[in-house]
Amino acid sequence: MKVRIAAILLTLSLGTSLAFAQGGTRRPVSLTQLAENNAAVEAGERRFKQLCSGCHGARGEGGQGEGQGPNLVTSWEVRRVSDASLAELIRKGIPGTAMPPFALPNEQITELAAFVRSLNAPAISVPVPGDPAAGEAIFVGKGGCLNCHMLNGQGGYLGPDLSNVGATRRLDELRNAILKPSSRASDGYTPVELAAPDGGRMRGIVRRYSNWSMQILDENGRLHLLHGPEMKKAVIQSKPWMPNDYEQRLTREDINDLLALLSRQAVRAQDKSEASMRPASPKPVR
Amino acid sequence: MGKVISHSVLIYSFFLSTLAAQVSFEDLRQGLTQNWLTSIGDYAAQRHSPLSQVNTKTISRLTPKWVRNIQGAGELEMTPLVYEGVMYATNSNELYALDAATGREIWRYEATGVRRRNPNRGAAILGDRVFFVTSDCHLVALRRVSGGVLWDREYASTRDGFRCTGAPLVVKDKVLVGVASAGKTCFVAALSVDTGKEVWRFRTVPRKGEPGSDTWGSFNLDWGGAPTWTTGSYDPELNLLYWPTGNPWPDFYAGDRPGDNLYSDCVLALDADTGKMKWYFQFVPHDTHDWDANEQPVLINANFRGSPRKLLIQANRNGFYYILDRTNGEFLLAQPFVKKLNWATGIDAKGRPIVAPNMDPSPGGTYVCPSVHGATNWWAPSVNPELGLLFVVALEECETYYSSAQKPVPISGFRGTGHTLISSEPGEFFLRALDIRTGKIRWEFPMPGPARMWAGTLATAGGLVFTADDAGDLVAVDASTGKDLWHFYMGSNLRASPMSFAIGGKQYVSIAAGSNIFTFALLED
Repeated sequence: MKVRIAAILLTLSLGTSLAFAQGGTRRPVSLTQLAENNAAVEAGERRFKQLCSGCHGARGEGGQGEGQGPNLVTSWEVRRVSDASLAELIRKGIPGTAMPPFALPNEQITELAAFVRSLNAPAISVPVPGDPAAGEAIFVGKGGCLNCHMLNGQGGYLGPDLSNVGATRRLDELRNAILKPSSRASDGYTPVELAAPDGGRMRGIVRRYSNWSMQILDENGRLHLLHGPEMKKAVIQSKPWMPNDYEQRLTREDINDLLALLSRQAVRAQDKSEASMRPASPKPVR
Repeated sequence: MGKVISHSVLIYSFFLSTLAAQVSFEDLRQGLTQNWLTSIGDYAAQRHSPLSQVNTKTISRLTPKWVRNIQGAGELEMTPLVYEGVMYATNSNELYALDAATGREIWRYEATGVRRRNPNRGAAILGDRVFFVTSDCHLVALRRVSGGVLWDREYASTRDGFRCTGAPLVVKDKVLVGVASAGKTCFVAALSVDTGKEVWRFRTVPRKGEPGSDTWGSFNLDWGGAPTWTTGSYDPELNLLYWPTGNPWPDFYAGDRPGDNLYSDCVLALDADTGKMKWYFQFVPHDTHDWDANEQPVLINANFRGSPRKLLIQANRNGFYYILDRTNGEFLLAQPFVKKLNWATGIDAKGRPIVAPNMDPSPGGTYVCPSVHGATNWWAPSVNPELGLLFVVALEECETYYSSAQKPVPISGFRGTGHTLISSEPGEFFLRALDIRTGKIRWEFPMPGPARMWAGTLATAGGLVFTADDAGDLVAVDASTGKDLWHFYMGSNLRASPMSFAIGGKQYVSIAAGSNIFTFALLED
């Protein structure tokens, strides 16, 4: 019910021109769609600087020290919260924390919420320049991405499955993951080498390890659950398997095409339908 | 995306040829081994593990090996699966692959964008895949080794008031799923293991004009309930699924639904390939006490009154133990397995209850036994075929049932009123061993506690029955006598059933307790 009230509120406050028609019924505009509405986002950004940046940083990156606001860009809580709840959080504050209530007109609350959403929106909900089909050719071909990553069950085992990254990652996270990969592998992807059956070496990733056991997935999709002395078979590598030279190997256009492909990856039909309703926009976002 | 990537599949098909060992339908048919491949254990749902390293002589050395917390899980209800040393455990909207010898995580998959959190009762596996359902009724297929997602397909909508909790069951090339609802008529569906596409669907309340539709008066047949929220059993030789159904809606007020209300509170025998119903048996016609038949049907071949029969046995929530012929649904026997049973004076020769007068819920309250919690419920029973015993967690409890006449409004939470426990008559749990041929109680093991658990049993070739008790313990008793042999306190109210597996010749016993998974094995010398 709350969601419905907020949706009506949003529709009223921004006018019906933003409402999409789908299947013959009017669908109220969501904050995620609002995040693409530059006027609303820009108005929200101006107000954010006046009212929120003292605690949350100028662009939501979070304040420093006791009593300061959390990072809104990376916050899973913000990403998961419903539109209605996000607007309510701003309106009512969070009792027991330093987050105060903001008694603002509905329209201003909505603009603030749209700006926060735009900071945090998953890649599938924002316009991305580039051609997904060309991105796929790079993914499979000169990028070599499919050797280590899976899309919808096809691909390699050494990197994270990317079938849902459009719905779970922001565009800037995807871009940074390609162009500025960490020099240290993320948790669950520690590079390791093992003796292969043919006497050579094969690559793998350590999903978890302790002093007494190691759970390894090799590049051929076999699990190695090593316990005690068996762990000597595994030689941990210092450098992650993720290449760190894509900035040199791929053109700017290649990267945009790859991002266009990755940003569309979602396993849930409703995420995909939101993406298909997205207006085509050649304009890159940030 | 599936389409976009498809032209690359040929080039990259070498990935498929190097995959780890596959789980086949034949593996599933084989039943319990060192692996535990379906949430119900084996297709017959006997839950009798052939493992005997842990037995009546060695049980005193059974000791915890690991405990894995599932963060934020509350009270887990699932039975995990184990295949080749990997455990697949579910929580609401997430699936974990764990190293079954250590409890360490191999991968975790979380379904994103789900607005509901219901309990989840387990996963299913076939080939290189593992399947589970989300609270909002999507079936998700993942790669077993990596947790990579293949697809996520909605098979019922939360907009219609559906929610999903059950473990899917894989039969041949289909994944079988059920639903619970806020009144909407439910169904059993078979989805393709390859794509999740629906192959058949059996609606548990007939449409107007279909056989059985005359058992509802003028009630709206789209709102009959009859949920399918537990997992059915399967006979590969007969190729029949035995799927139990729940109660008609509204639960406690039946004034608008005169008649037997088919196919609520039934076991349905469905052709596994087509979903066509071969027979049905209704345990409680015109139910007004929420006595779902969602207890596990157990399939067993045994001599009955002098001749070998293919039997289906079930200890039902209504307090009676039933024996049916599973080839044709013929009723063979019913016998009470609880003493607190006042709603019926017996079961007639056709299997229909002889209902006592004035047992319907009423505005002033009606004293009825068993309680809504049930004489038993969805928690797992198990069998020792050699001893001819069915092990059932039974609850001796009565309640006051209330009703009110209201126009039934779908998805309103309306249930026709409800029920309250009687504080002066607290319920009491027992583990009971029933003679599968007569239903007579051979022994019982009392389980003191608050009578609020939802936990079941495991039988093993080691001559043991493991059961969770009402005080937070995992307990092992002697299968032939019920003698108390071992227990371990896990510190939580229990809502799950134990299972067993082996790795490299070492037997393990696992159970979910609270938000943890406990795993036990013999202490090494």
